[in-house]
Amino acid sequence: MDGESAKANLCQFALRAGISNANPWSIANLRRWNSLMKHWLAALILFLSAGALATAQEYQVGSTVADFQVKRLDGTPASFSTLKGNVTVVIFISVQCPVSNAYNERMNALYRDYSAKGVKFIFVNANHTEPAAAVEEHARQHNFAFAVFKDENNVVADKFGATVTPETYVIDANGTLRYHGSIDNSQNESRVTSFRLRAALDAVLAGKQPPQTETKAFGCSIKRASR
Amino acid sequence: MTRRHFLAAALGAFPLAVLRAAPNALSPLDEQSFRQMVAAHRGKVLLVEFWATWCAACREEMPKLLALRASYSAGDFAMVTISCDEPEQERGAQAFLEKQSAPSPRYIKRAKDDDAFINSIDPKWSGALPALFLYDRSGQLAAKFIGESSTASIQAAIKQALAEGG
Repeated sequence: MDGESAKANLCQFALRAGISNANPWSIANLRRWNSLMKHWLAALILFLSAGALATAQEYQVGSTVADFQVKRLDGTPASFSTLKGNVTVVIFISVQCPVSNAYNERMNALYRDYSAKGVKFIFVNANHTEPAAAVEEHARQHNFAFAVFKDENNVVADKFGATVTPETYVIDANGTLRYHGSIDNSQNESRVTSFRLRAALDAVLAGKQPPQTETKAFGCSIKRASR
Repeated sequence: MTRRHFLAAALGAFPLAVLRAAPNALSPLDEQSFRQMVAAHRGKVLLVEFWATWCAACREEMPKLLALRASYSAGDFAMVTISCDEPEQERGAQAFLEKQSAPSPRYIKRAKDDDAFINSIDPKWSGALPALFLYDRSGQLAAKFIGESSTASIQAAIKQALAEGG
């Protein structure tokens, strides 16, 4: 846009706002300019906050999962793009949560059974109250067969919209989120009647739709960092 | 005392022990009884607290909420607790409520399908604890607090719901 047309556009814009051409700097016109600027500022703030909301949008089943970074317990970075497989499971877990701990054996079994089928697992600890050293000690005590990663400042948990531990996500080869929810339907293994995560994995591995794509994850709330 | 006498005495004492435990027992609650419970509190502002013994934040929040409850008139405000504990954790839940002097009735979630139960209360609720749901005097959901929340924000919501009358 050249200088002249920009000036013409500004004039048209001012006229539409009721600012007369006769004396653009009269008190009445200055008040109108002031009001006009306030409206534009409000619109700008609205636009910027809408943008912020759009970027803060959590994944839903069907969303494409973008690359994300986690940290190994030695502090070195690792990314989803290098950890993922044809089917990837992301599970948020905890050191202290009794519900998450009730699933330790089941998570080990899941890892063993489905790693053999080519599924990759990303176990994530996003609790800011549980440092890497505590996560490492906990993994050792419970003989975890899998690696656990730290999600510092719960950036990944925010992106996934994870609120509790354990909470699981199944991502297919295209990066599409296919299942979100609980591992099964009871923290007490003897009462489990619905093996939700296994059913979802079996379906996605077979190229089918999971019988349930969204279930309620239950457990302890993720202890988020205050930012 | 012979063995027979001892057995008879033990059997005789059993129903008494059950009766003694009954006032503190938690009442099971499903979708339907939850709706009925909320409806039965119409005319009052009702705060429903979902908690569990395994939820540290819930255990920390409970005494604060009970103190809050004590600051309102019983004619205007009621608070009920709903434990989300598993059957084997029920005794622990009962003992915790007893220690906190939590008011009766005390409930425990016993739904056939937990997902359906959670959805019936609020489809947007993931089931994360602690979870507080505030109902106005007409029994409509007025506010909710999922996860750790400040007592001041809960207090403000109660104040607003009380002020709205109904």
